[in-house]
Amino acid sequence: MAEKKVRVLMAKPGLEGHWVGLLVVSRALRDAGFEVIYGANMTPAMIAKTAVQEDVDVVGLSILTANYMRLVSETLKELRNHGKGDVLVLLGGTIFEDDFPALKEMGVAGIFIPGTPLEDIVEFVRQQTSQVDKSTRPFGTLRAAQETS
Amino acid sequence: MMQSEEQHLSTSGIPIKEIYTPEDVKDISYDEDIGIAGEPPFTRGVYRSMYRGKLWTIRRLSGFNTPEDTNKLYRQEYELGQTGFSVAPDITTCVGMDCDDPRVSADVGHSGVPLCSIEDMETAFDGLPIEKVSTYLAEKHGIQTAMYFAMAEKRGIDIRELRGTTANCMLSWTVLNLPNQTPPQGYLRYAVDFIEWCSQFAPRWYPVSFDSYNTRDLGLNAYQELGMLFATAIAYIEEEKRRGRVPLDRFVRRFSFNTAAHNDLFEEIAKLRAARRMWYKIIRERYSIDDPRCAQFRVHVQSSGSTHTTQEPLNNLMRIAYQVLAGVLGGAQSIHANGYDEGVCLPTDQSMLLSIRTEQILQYETNVTNTIDPLGGSWYVERLTGELEQRAWEYIQKIEDMGGMAEAIGSGWVHNEYKNATIERARKAASGETPIVGVNKFRAEKEPYKVPIFRPDPQSPQIQIEKLKRLREKRDSAKVAEALQKLEEVTRSGENVMSATMEAVKAYATLGEIVNVQLKVYGQWPFPIVG
Repeated sequence: MAEKKVRVLMAKPGLEGHWVGLLVVSRALRDAGFEVIYGANMTPAMIAKTAVQEDVDVVGLSILTANYMRLVSETLKELRNHGKGDVLVLLGGTIFEDDFPALKEMGVAGIFIPGTPLEDIVEFVRQQTSQVDKSTRPFGTLRAAQETS
Repeated sequence: MMQSEEQHLSTSGIPIKEIYTPEDVKDISYDEDIGIAGEPPFTRGVYRSMYRGKLWTIRRLSGFNTPEDTNKLYRQEYELGQTGFSVAPDITTCVGMDCDDPRVSADVGHSGVPLCSIEDMETAFDGLPIEKVSTYLAEKHGIQTAMYFAMAEKRGIDIRELRGTTANCMLSWTVLNLPNQTPPQGYLRYAVDFIEWCSQFAPRWYPVSFDSYNTRDLGLNAYQELGMLFATAIAYIEEEKRRGRVPLDRFVRRFSFNTAAHNDLFEEIAKLRAARRMWYKIIRERYSIDDPRCAQFRVHVQSSGSTHTTQEPLNNLMRIAYQVLAGVLGGAQSIHANGYDEGVCLPTDQSMLLSIRTEQILQYETNVTNTIDPLGGSWYVERLTGELEQRAWEYIQKIEDMGGMAEAIGSGWVHNEYKNATIERARKAASGETPIVGVNKFRAEKEPYKVPIFRPDPQSPQIQIEKLKRLREKRDSAKVAEALQKLEEVTRSGENVMSATMEAVKAYATLGEIVNVQLKVYGQWPFPIVG
């Protein structure tokens, strides 16, 4: 039986234009063998729809502005509303340490600020999704999300 | 003597010798390649007296929450002795959406000030003497500048007397993954329209600031930065040449530039020197423009945000001070020192004050302004200036061979360069090849301290939405519709759009409504990076 690949949706809720963190982490996860769907900027509802459509196990969010509490909370709500409340949610960007407890309480599994070694992020995702056997892990892929209107 | 075996490279990968001698500059002619400041080829500075005549302008890009809060900030900056304002629009303004657009709710008032209408502009500049200061507007298609000009008119100030700069740069905006962007050809059209209009009606305004800051911050190196910068300027001139509406010497008369100041001190100084010589050659040799004022590379420099770390943020103060020093030794006309908390949040009152003080200490305590181009004649710096210039010309040629900058952006080539550069930079940071103190070198087990953080006001979106609602109710909607209709007609006709934009703004058309006209005509450009 073929192993199910671990599928990760990487997206930016909101409209802000910093894309480097999203791209670099997407590449690192792909290189580590995950199947990455690159979502770029999406509304919270689009993120949830895409998460369902692509049947992902992990949703990685990148936010470089201080409105992350609202954006994360809206995204988590949309995920629950779409029956995807069980995905592993990661958050990267300029997140204030004082907000970590509240974000974790909300349901964010991992928070990664700029300067976090990429291997730490990869290792975290690997551990949290460890049902996949490393030896049979297929090659990672990275592709753009389909348009979801 | 034993020479070290290890190869030393500049940040741009240029091999650096252990020591430089007159042998390294034997092909450089003092009269032809260097000369005196204020005289062609301007390598040493664009003005004869440089900082003795006028210190550089301290100009910080700022704006936050609401136009009301931003106004308080600008008044504070003015009292602190800042000599120019620099308007950072918020995310919604950058993407050209109104505050009440359902797509933007959470982004209003973040990363800058929302400016949806002329009313917002008037609030932001309330009580400030716009006839005395110079203002920089970080915008793309002339809409916010139309608001600023219309505000001046209402105050009874002659637009011809206004001083300031509009970013208006295709290069710096297309770097960002923003919705609602017109394709590169749309950028070129609006940008060139705006320059033409200013050359006639706002002669003291700098109608464009070709800006390679974002390009550099994505990981491109110093000569690639210059290459993309000048290829963009050339694209604008070529477009005007094709149109033939304004004589080229008048078209380029008020061009200005904006670059990053990165970590490699001498390379950055050499970069600014090389840039001045290159711009002179472009104007004089390529376009045969005789007016020496057209060939002056006037530049605003900003410390590189991408070098600032989230870890131990106070270390950034040192990085910023060195980068600003590079700008000064490189002869910049205007400088923005970032907040040390750039990698953490928008600046706090304290970090803002420190950035202004960083520049004032350089101006008044270090004597670095005593003599012009103090590194001119250094065998190392002259050689490096030449090497950067050479490589930048080659990069420009590559872009020209693709049909020019608009085509290079349109085809996705430029963004592929960005993508490769960011991935390579991440790889070098991960491997330790690029040392970053406090991050991949000498990293503390635990963050040793915390800095104060800035939190935007969560009420801003609501405040702005209500203001916009009131505006929509009280304005003459027939007049708005008419102005927008006229704008669309002019846009489609190919005539200069700026007067019609001014009329729309005066009729209280909103930013979103004007941008919708642009998108109706040009369509939305899909960002080329999709994973």
